[in-house]
Amino acid sequence: MNPHFKRASSTRRRFRIALPALLLFAVAAIAAPPIPTTNLQAAQQAIANAERVDASTHAGVDLGEARGKLAAAQRAVEDKKMVVAQQFADEARAGAELAAAKAGAVKALAVNEDIKRSTATLVDEMQRKSGVSR
Amino acid sequence: MNISVKLPIRSMIAVAVAAAVLAGCASVPKNPAGSEQVRAKLTALQSDTSLANSAPVAMKDAEAAVIVAEMPQKDLALAAHRVYIANRKVDTARALAQTETAETERMSLVEIGEKARLDARTREADLAKSDALVARAENAEQKLIAGQARDSADVANQQAIELQRQLEILQARPTDRGLVLTLGDTLFATGKSELKSGATVNLDRLTTFLNEYPTRTASIEGYTDSMGSEEMNQSLSQRRADAVKGYLVGQGVSSTRLSSSGRGENSPVADNESATGRQQNRRVEVVISPLAPEGTN
Repeated sequence: MNPHFKRASSTRRRFRIALPALLLFAVAAIAAPPIPTTNLQAAQQAIANAERVDASTHAGVDLGEARGKLAAAQRAVEDKKMVVAQQFADEARAGAELAAAKAGAVKALAVNEDIKRSTATLVDEMQRKSGVSR
Repeated sequence: MNISVKLPIRSMIAVAVAAAVLAGCASVPKNPAGSEQVRAKLTALQSDTSLANSAPVAMKDAEAAVIVAEMPQKDLALAAHRVYIANRKVDTARALAQTETAETERMSLVEIGEKARLDARTREADLAKSDALVARAENAEQKLIAGQARDSADVANQQAIELQRQLEILQARPTDRGLVLTLGDTLFATGKSELKSGATVNLDRLTTFLNEYPTRTASIEGYTDSMGSEEMNQSLSQRRADAVKGYLVGQGVSSTRLSSSGRGENSPVADNESATGRQQNRRVEVVISPLAPEGTN
């Protein structure tokens, strides 16, 4: 056989062993989940946003729960449970978004009630006034 | 032969494995716990006609999250996580839809409020206008009364001026007995008591005056000079006064307003020694009374 060929085939064989090992290594590296930084940041931002729209007043329970989820996510990061950390972070974000939305709804309905009340007062006043004048 | 025996065994193993896998699949719960409830919550939101068409992005997010939550999942923690997220998303969609609906409703509320405010203002203006109308009517009435008062004052004033003018025409002079108009001796021929024709200009003015002021009365007094007997002068003065009265009655003056008397040669106004004096003493005086007692206006 061609010695050259033989040499080449032996390197190929060596590759055949190295490549799966390398791939395994890479997969392992990917599979070892990184800290879910993006999700944590998104959750923090959602909580800050909810606080800005007075969710602590109008949707305190939901905001409190979101804060608890964020704390749980941070504990999970410390425990290297990155999948769990990401889930908690996403739950914190969804909860904070809910708190902000609820606060918005409460405020919007309150404004409408205010307008309704002032109109009703005006109509009452007018009816009273015209009743007096008649 | 050997091979033909081996093959069925392999295929049998394959079938068994496939069956096991299928069984495994079938054992995975079709709906993760809580996914039915979150689907029901989403359906309720979607069938709420007042909210279903609002917040479409959040609605779609919620729908997608519910679909993910419904996917069969062996990892129970992941399944629970998905259901949790789906619940939050559906609640968020409801809250956002409520906000949007409230904001839409607000426009019509503001419109209703504006209309009410406008109505109120219009009504207030109407009230003010009618108040003003009433006030104006009252004002007009007062002005009318004032005007009438002024008019009557004007009339009185004009009447006074007119009286003054008439008196000037008559050449009457005010005395303590009243207005005295002296008609000279040119009315009569000497010794006669008939009025001379063409001498009645002064009497006509007196007639006009008495007709103008029907509340006034006139006392007609005849006087003579001292020539002749006293009795004759007395009767002559009486006849002359009667003649003047007769003339005035003939002109339409009521006799009840007129009285006549003869004063003879008494009360001379000038010296009877001279011709000029005697001429002045031969006279008829008409005393126009001040306003009659019944004519208090």
